[in-house]
Amino acid sequence: MKRLVNLFTKPSKLFHFPTTYARMNLRSRWLALPGFICIAAFATMLSAYSGASSSQGWGPEQPVRFPHTVHAGTLKMNCLYCHYSANKSPDPGLPAVGTCMGCHNIVPGTTDAGKAEIKKLAGFWNNKQPVPWIRIHKLPEYVHFPHMRHVNAGVQCQTCHGQIQNMQQVYQANSLNMGWCVNCHIGQSNPPLKARYDCSTCHY
Amino acid sequence: MIDSADNNGGAKAPEATGVRRRDFLKVLGAGGAATAMLGCGQEKVEKLIPYLVSPDQTVPGVSTYYATTCRECATGCGIIAETRDGRTIKLEGNPDHPVNQGALCARGQASLQGLYNPDRFRGPMIRRGGKLEAIKWDEALRLFAEKINETRRNGSAGNAVFINQHEAGSFGLFLDSWLAALGMPAHISYDAEADHAAITANKQNGGAAWPVLNFKGTKLIVSFGADFLDGWGAGVPQQLAFADARADYKNAPRLIYVGPRRSLTGLNADQWIDCRPGGEIAIAKMLSGALSPAQASQQSGAPQKALESLAREFAAAKPAMVLSGAGSSDLSAIAATLNSAPAGNGGYLGFEGIATAAEMRALAHRMSANGVSLLMVRGANPVYTLPKSVGFEAALKKVPYKVSFSSVPDETTELADLILPDHHFLEQWGDAEPMRGVLSLQQPTMDPVFDTRATTDVLISVGRAEAATAASYQYPDFRTWLIGRFPGGATALAAALPKGFTSGSIGYAPQARALPAVQTTTMDQTHGSMYLYVYPHPLLGDGRGANKPWLQELPDPVTKICWQTVAEMNPATLTKMGMANGDYVTVKTSAGSLTLPVLSYPGVQRDTIAIATGRGHPHSGRYASAGFNPLDLLPVSEDRSGAFVYASTKADVTKAGGSTWIVTTEGSSRQHGRGIGQAIGIAELGGQGNEEGVGAEHQKSGEKGEEMAGDASHEFLPGMRAPVANDAQGDRGDQASNDKGMYDPKHWSGMAKRRWAMTVDLARCTGCSACVTACYAENNIPTVGADWQGGKFLPDRTGFGANITRSREMAWLRIERYYEGGEDGSADFDTRFVPMMCQHCGNAPCEPVCPVYATYHAPDGLNVQVYNRCVGTRYCSNNCPYKVRYFNWFGYGEPGRAQYAFPEPLNWQLNPDVTVRGKGVMEKCTFCVQRIREAENRAKLEQREMQPDEFTTACAASCPSRAITFGDAADENWSVTKVAKDRRAYHVFEELNTYTAVVYLKKVLHSAPGAA
Repeated sequence: MKRLVNLFTKPSKLFHFPTTYARMNLRSRWLALPGFICIAAFATMLSAYSGASSSQGWGPEQPVRFPHTVHAGTLKMNCLYCHYSANKSPDPGLPAVGTCMGCHNIVPGTTDAGKAEIKKLAGFWNNKQPVPWIRIHKLPEYVHFPHMRHVNAGVQCQTCHGQIQNMQQVYQANSLNMGWCVNCHIGQSNPPLKARYDCSTCHY
Repeated sequence: MIDSADNNGGAKAPEATGVRRRDFLKVLGAGGAATAMLGCGQEKVEKLIPYLVSPDQTVPGVSTYYATTCRECATGCGIIAETRDGRTIKLEGNPDHPVNQGALCARGQASLQGLYNPDRFRGPMIRRGGKLEAIKWDEALRLFAEKINETRRNGSAGNAVFINQHEAGSFGLFLDSWLAALGMPAHISYDAEADHAAITANKQNGGAAWPVLNFKGTKLIVSFGADFLDGWGAGVPQQLAFADARADYKNAPRLIYVGPRRSLTGLNADQWIDCRPGGEIAIAKMLSGALSPAQASQQSGAPQKALESLAREFAAAKPAMVLSGAGSSDLSAIAATLNSAPAGNGGYLGFEGIATAAEMRALAHRMSANGVSLLMVRGANPVYTLPKSVGFEAALKKVPYKVSFSSVPDETTELADLILPDHHFLEQWGDAEPMRGVLSLQQPTMDPVFDTRATTDVLISVGRAEAATAASYQYPDFRTWLIGRFPGGATALAAALPKGFTSGSIGYAPQARALPAVQTTTMDQTHGSMYLYVYPHPLLGDGRGANKPWLQELPDPVTKICWQTVAEMNPATLTKMGMANGDYVTVKTSAGSLTLPVLSYPGVQRDTIAIATGRGHPHSGRYASAGFNPLDLLPVSEDRSGAFVYASTKADVTKAGGSTWIVTTEGSSRQHGRGIGQAIGIAELGGQGNEEGVGAEHQKSGEKGEEMAGDASHEFLPGMRAPVANDAQGDRGDQASNDKGMYDPKHWSGMAKRRWAMTVDLARCTGCSACVTACYAENNIPTVGADWQGGKFLPDRTGFGANITRSREMAWLRIERYYEGGEDGSADFDTRFVPMMCQHCGNAPCEPVCPVYATYHAPDGLNVQVYNRCVGTRYCSNNCPYKVRYFNWFGYGEPGRAQYAFPEPLNWQLNPDVTVRGKGVMEKCTFCVQRIREAENRAKLEQREMQPDEFTTACAASCPSRAITFGDAADENWSVTKVAKDRRAYHVFEELNTYTAVVYLKKVLHSAPGAA
């Protein structure tokens, strides 16, 4: 009790860490490490719950190495040709295998590598199997992102998805974190766009 | 601090004794790396599976709507099924359909859980060595065809029997022609819910099997146990008609309910006359003048004073509608002579041709005498729905081969040898003729969930396999057959399908059948002094709803009991017997005995013990085993119409010792002066509705204008109505800023121009709870009452409903039911049904107490709950005066957890527009914010402004009495603004200055003429 009073009456003592530190004996050394692990675990949790993480940069190899560089880059195909509902639905739409084969029935490819990939695609088509694409861009389930609102407001696909037309293998170019989204919504993008920034715009 | 160690002199290099800073940082760094790995979401690689070929006319992420016909009961309502990315996720009434006019009851909503029932048969099954084994369809069809062939070869085809779950449509016609082609007798169409005494009486009086009840223009309705709001007959259209008739206050009919138990219809009645089971007939005789009130009182147990006033009122009120639903032909006959209400236009054809209980008993007799060679059954479950005393189960075991087409396991399929599961009605083609001249169409709304086949197509393939009938079954499927019969063929059908119905007739009249000798008995007096009253559950019906968790969790509108079967007794009787709520009683009759907990309910006659049917299924899947089946207590007793008499015996009721928790969502059945459900007498209202000039009239007579004494203002202001919002909401949290951001009505976003609001008309609400199920379906609300979802911490709170006894139900919208008066145990009490959801207060008590800003006020008036911000302190719930916030105590929404509420494929139904909440998160009514945002998106996409009444919430859409209106209260053009101006309007707990966005309109009381 006396010690407690002392501690409160002499606050400097409370934080007199060096003395305590100096007295660390072997036992406290063994205790300190688990202590730090606890702190680290806490930091881990805090960090995980704060959402300050992102899969930015993630770009796995796809089952068919579809070159956006050729389709969107060289050929300058409109994104909406394949992602056909991006301007009318929350969901951008993924091209059906039939859509790919619409052209690739007659387009065999130019390079050897390209030809091999188109053969792979035709293999899926002939076996009546969909291509199991690996998902790259994913927002958490508690966020609702209506593609059509953004596309119709004149937001370029590249604003969120990066320079897709230059990507040999597509990766997540931006963090897609909330702060990154809100930046545009509050008009701090270039050129400035305006959109609601109320929580219930996206979270419900 | 560590750095300062060097300056302190006392410390040597800490390497040997402590942890160096570098080490500390390393540990922290490793932790950080772990964080990055955990958080970045790469622990689970998701696949994006495209279509092989894009289907026409569907857009991913946008719903497609299909019109079809509901098959949950005999009525045949039109429904619109919302299908998203190939899965049907929501059912709503078809607004143009002449039967239900856009409304849909709880049972209709819950048919989705029949479609996605996790216990459904995955494919054909065969019983080998007493166990069901999966087989291939080819083999199953070959076996079935062989059996048919064998039956025909040995000349016993005439002894084959096909029992079908009754449905009004071409299927009966198709089935009978198939049976006839194979030399088999016409099928038995069975529906345990049909009231044959009423149907027979209706037909004898020259009307339709089920008439359209024409409440409008009637002065008085006397209902002898006719529960027209509980699913007695055509539930939804009757409720619509009743609510509409009562909404015209000046001419509204008074409703008097006569019976041993106040059902939902009874609670909606203005007066209840309690009598003993079977005593109704004496009261009817009194009305016809055959008995004096004193005699009637003596014979029925009803109070003489009430009977005298009934006789007086009945004599004066013309026209009066007298309905008989007590299952007695004698009573129905008297009621028909008393009835002076004009008959409604037309009738419901769905109630034609239903087999009676007597016919089923005769069939059981035939089966046990080895008179049935082959039994086929589709959908119907006679083993459960017929009382044990009928002996159907034992008789069925004697049939050499039983084929079932049911899609879900039940007590009847448990005895079947071969199971050829049918599609759910949402997966197949069909039609119905619910009313004369109306052809309601049924189409698949999605691909089959499992490897099932439409029974119609199975019959066609078997017809083709059989040499004698092959020629007449050359078409590929039932759809082709339907198109062939449809006037105008495929083109006309394709044109009619989007609407869901067309004019036309199926032209099917079920063959008249000779009724077997009925086994009438008088009241079995051999046991005890209490009358046993077994009644059909208003939500589970004859038990077919028991495998759907929404219906199990939906509290009974009257008792507020879920997941449990209780014996209801009058509080006075309970006190006399020295018992309390939850004590076990043993109910014993000549047919059997049952021990179950007792519930004190003032709406039961004092000499009566009432038990609901529907629960206690041994073989109907994981959800249906909750509770008990009271049919086991009933001896065989039939009315002369062939109907089973459910009030036919007295019972020994004895204290069994011990008690259990009552699984109820109710806190208190009394309002304790809180004024939650308010009412106003018709006299005080001036006999007027919300007509123009009412205020002026009152001003003339010296009263206050628009508002009545004690009424506070109920107007809404857009934007910064709430003082708290006004203070707190600077632009992006800067309190010093004068820029109110989106909270400024002049802000470009226009968000604060709107004030989303709701009105609930208590004069219309009947408490049926359809809105609650609609809310569960729309908002991915988990059910929490299954036995594996309860915690295992308290031994007396396990089993079904354990979570409910801890008040952990998740119903965002609940119906509160309060009694007014009758504290002394008398029958003279009034009931208030109050739908209670988040009130979206302008000055919400929940908002300032949230430490993490997870709940806040949106500029458009919504009280928003942001799930990803919520850390689960539950402060908001503690501070909510309406108790409408619900906490996820367990991971009900997390697959892999023991408490997961959506076992595959129930999760297919989840609405993709609504977040599935995880453990430790608070949730509540959102005013269907996903529908608001969807409507905003749609308007924007179509480059227009949102139209008034363009959309509504799930609860308002389903409501069969049109009690709920939703919209923008800041815009004059929305209906909600007009309804909120009604003179009956009030806010619940207005004195708390919560500025709620929900306006209730007082219930209107119709007291007896002459009474104050």
